[in-house]
Amino acid sequence: MDITKTIDDGTMHMAVKGRINTITAPDFETAIQEDIDKVTRLDIDFADLDYLSSAGLRVILGAQKAMAGKGEMVIHNVNETVMEVFEVTGFATILTIE
Amino acid sequence: MSEIEDSLDMHCEIILSQFDARTPVLERLQEIVDQKISHFLENTHIEVFATASRIKTRKSLAGKLALKGERYASVDDITDLLGERIVTYYADDVELVASFIERTFDMDWENSVDKRAALQPSQFGYLSLHYICRLPRTLYYDPAMPELNEIRFEVQMRSALQHVWAQITHDTGYKTDFEVPARFVRSYSKMASLIEIADEEFVRIRDGLDEYRTTVVALMREGRYDDLELDGETFQRYLERDPFGPLNERIAAINGAEISRGSYHPYLRVFHMMGFERIGDIDRMITHYSEDAYNLATAQLEGTGLDIISGTIGLQNLCISCIIRSGGGLRQMRSFITIVMGERFNSDASAMRFIRRAASVGITSPHEDVAPR
Repeated sequence: MDITKTIDDGTMHMAVKGRINTITAPDFETAIQEDIDKVTRLDIDFADLDYLSSAGLRVILGAQKAMAGKGEMVIHNVNETVMEVFEVTGFATILTIE
Repeated sequence: MSEIEDSLDMHCEIILSQFDARTPVLERLQEIVDQKISHFLENTHIEVFATASRIKTRKSLAGKLALKGERYASVDDITDLLGERIVTYYADDVELVASFIERTFDMDWENSVDKRAALQPSQFGYLSLHYICRLPRTLYYDPAMPELNEIRFEVQMRSALQHVWAQITHDTGYKTDFEVPARFVRSYSKMASLIEIADEEFVRIRDGLDEYRTTVVALMREGRYDDLELDGETFQRYLERDPFGPLNERIAAINGAEISRGSYHPYLRVFHMMGFERIGDIDRMITHYSEDAYNLATAQLEGTGLDIISGTIGLQNLCISCIIRSGGGLRQMRSFITIVMGERFNSDASAMRFIRRAASVGITSPHEDVAPR
């Protein structure tokens, strides 16, 4: 898993490439949590994400919770495979996906 | 020293110096009365728009003395050196607050004024209760400060709307009928009549809602779902019965999943879109489509290892099954997706996937033209 991250004017832009699974989810979580207090918006680009496991879902839900009340978290460019994970677990209705 | 204070005669200056000596007692009295009032409001759960208290400023007292100092023999004759104000949302809550004040403090009825009773039936104007009170020794007594039980203070009670009217008229200088031309006095009275009507209407609405809620709770308890119109109140009460819990538990058991709390908030719009009018419609959906919803979840989750699901998954799958089985087709499925996932979402692709997955477990439309491809 590769993560590209920039922070610009209160927005954290993050692009994730590869797989978020039990092994890589802790790094994904660290990348979000170490800067989440500095931003009011979190944009996550999943264009190059191939796989998302439950561990990754938990990190995303944690980020969503952290952003609640202080800003917005938006997930962009979700491919069909990852979208199915959101849909079949019911989280597509909770997350903001564009 | 201000210009007003300079102009006061000896009698008024004596009263001002009595006031200066009394300030520490007034400050202590203010603390005690504030505390009693806030405890009462906390314990009774009366929601108030505002509470305030103030000790009259030296400048304000000097102004009062300059106008009518001859009326007061000493500072003890001035009853509003400490003023408390309680502004309620509802006009009838003023009575509850007043009752507490009467029970708690020693009342000086002679100087208390019910402005509401002071108006003629044909008049509209200032509606407020002004009570003059003392702190009873049974409530608080400090031998080092016996004046605490002797000083009178004023408690003003009124509704929020009456408060606004009073503030506006006071700020624009309307204190007596002589200060502004008669036509403006009439305009103020007209506004007061509107506010009185609005105050009564708010009480009526609140009572109506309370009665409605009581009825809803009773009908819900009896399971008379077809007697309950579907709205925010009934849906909330229905959710308290955890109607989707058993289905969620079954779905969670597929992968031994954790159920994460979800929001049912958008689903009221979904139900209206689906033509549901009664709580009974939701209940029938659960009865008729729970098996479909579970089968759909099994097909979607089994073998994926996904061990966390949203608490809305049961309802989501129920709606999908119901829409397809009822012939709602792609159009209604797209509306469903848009409502629960938002306008910015690509609802077409998602709707097609839901329909395709449902078809894989035999959940299909009764109409050929909307059958998934």
